[in-house]
Amino acid sequence: MSGSPSGARRVPIEAGFFTIPEDRGEAPKLLASRCGRCGEVYFPRRISCIQCYARELEPIEIGPRGTLYTHTYVHVPMFGTSERDAKGYGVGQVDLPEGPRVQAVLSGARGDFQIGMPMELELEALRETPEGDEVVIMRFRPLAAAARA
Amino acid sequence: MRFDDVFVLGVGMVRFGVHKQRSILELAREAGFAALDDAGITLRDVGEAFTGYMQAAPMLGTRIMKEFGLTGLPVSHVENASATGLVAFREACRAVQSGACDVAMALGFEKMTELAAAGRERAPRAPGHAAIDSVIMPAAYFALWAQRRMHERGTQPWHFAEIAAKNWNHGALNPNAHRQAEKTITPEQVLASPIIADPLTAMMCCPVDDGAACAIVARGAVARRLGSAHAPVRVLASALQSERYTPGHTFLGPVVGPASMTRDTAREAYEQAGVGPEDLSIAYVHDAFANEELEYYELLGVCAPGEAEKVVEEGQTKLGGRIPFNSDGGLIARGHPGGPTGLAQIHESVTQLRGEAGRRQVPGARVALAHLVGGGSVCTVDLLRRE
Repeated sequence: MSGSPSGARRVPIEAGFFTIPEDRGEAPKLLASRCGRCGEVYFPRRISCIQCYARELEPIEIGPRGTLYTHTYVHVPMFGTSERDAKGYGVGQVDLPEGPRVQAVLSGARGDFQIGMPMELELEALRETPEGDEVVIMRFRPLAAAARA
Repeated sequence: MRFDDVFVLGVGMVRFGVHKQRSILELAREAGFAALDDAGITLRDVGEAFTGYMQAAPMLGTRIMKEFGLTGLPVSHVENASATGLVAFREACRAVQSGACDVAMALGFEKMTELAAAGRERAPRAPGHAAIDSVIMPAAYFALWAQRRMHERGTQPWHFAEIAAKNWNHGALNPNAHRQAEKTITPEQVLASPIIADPLTAMMCCPVDDGAACAIVARGAVARRLGSAHAPVRVLASALQSERYTPGHTFLGPVVGPASMTRDTAREAYEQAGVGPEDLSIAYVHDAFANEELEYYELLGVCAPGEAEKVVEEGQTKLGGRIPFNSDGGLIARGHPGGPTGLAQIHESVTQLRGEAGRRQVPGARVALAHLVGGGSVCTVDLLRRE
């Protein structure tokens, strides 16, 4: 990820939702559950199946690619960030081939997004902790942009 | 749930707005006494109370009820995000219907401006909510719904602007509305206001405000004994549903919730009440963002799927139209403090059904629908009728 201190340890904004690969060039995956009885896949993880009420759910990783279902561009600062982010940010819902529809922040400029376009997960640095760790959140970016990077 | 013998005895509210100098207790007290006075009773006559607020301190509802008296009555706190006020009203109706009491009170109050001020520093996040889904503001997820509608139906931003302008102009006729524009608001003005989340502009979004509202319900015999000068208003039914799972369900992030939630909840309310969308004179919906109201025209069955744009183009939901929506300005103009919002909808429904809405009166209004969604996870619909 450009502009981030390459040596800093990356920590999630909240544990249990996405992987943080050792290799910064590798896309993260989402931490999901699959029902051992009926096969339904859920994100985020859960311990019981909504379709068949089984408790035998296995932890799996899904993504990093999907299709953009809908999107918007927000023109006010993101909650929990500083004024430097006042330029705005994209938000979208991405359908993963495994089943779940995932809502997340989008990386890119206003006008970069079209419904139906392929998307890929990445990690974004939100801020640094006092210990110097980099706090990251997952977001999606258009796959074409991912290929260029 | 169907109600056989539940009538609205009294309503009261404080004008929604930014009440910096007034405490939440003062606001709640004013709305509560207004409703008690409207009903012609004191707390002695009230058998049970339900207070609705989203963010205030534990026990605040019980403490505020002491302003009206200490009679030993049961007081419970109801919270269901934006739907809080209507759910408090529903609980009051259920208490009367069940025979637990003859008279019940629903009181909603909120100082949302204090919460919003805190939110500038960090997301307004309650314990137990994920940090990961707290970075996105509410306008964004309703904008996602609008974008999908535009993609599927060719809806234009000016359709949303027309709805917003309508509600601003309805609000100008309502002394209880937060936003009371001095001149007629045009869709062009709405479109020219600052963009918040594409395609939603600032004037398509509800304001942040404070307020309080109250409704008192009673068995028919009590209403008749008190001999109110107002036309009697009966509560026909109330439905409350949470989400149903369908594959592809979005769990993480502040979400709108499945659109089917409003359709299913309205269907239940219509069936219980024995009325249909064709019987409605007026409707009040969760127009926190203008595109929502367009969707609800279809989901409430007021028009066929795909015809909501035509409803807007023909002005069918303006005052003077076929079925006015949000005659009090809706969340966009009347305001949306949270806890009291649904009780303001009941206040306006009752005022209209009594024929006491002045310049914004819908002639012959007989059946009213009140609808709210909360936190993307619940929907509630009430039906009221003038007898």
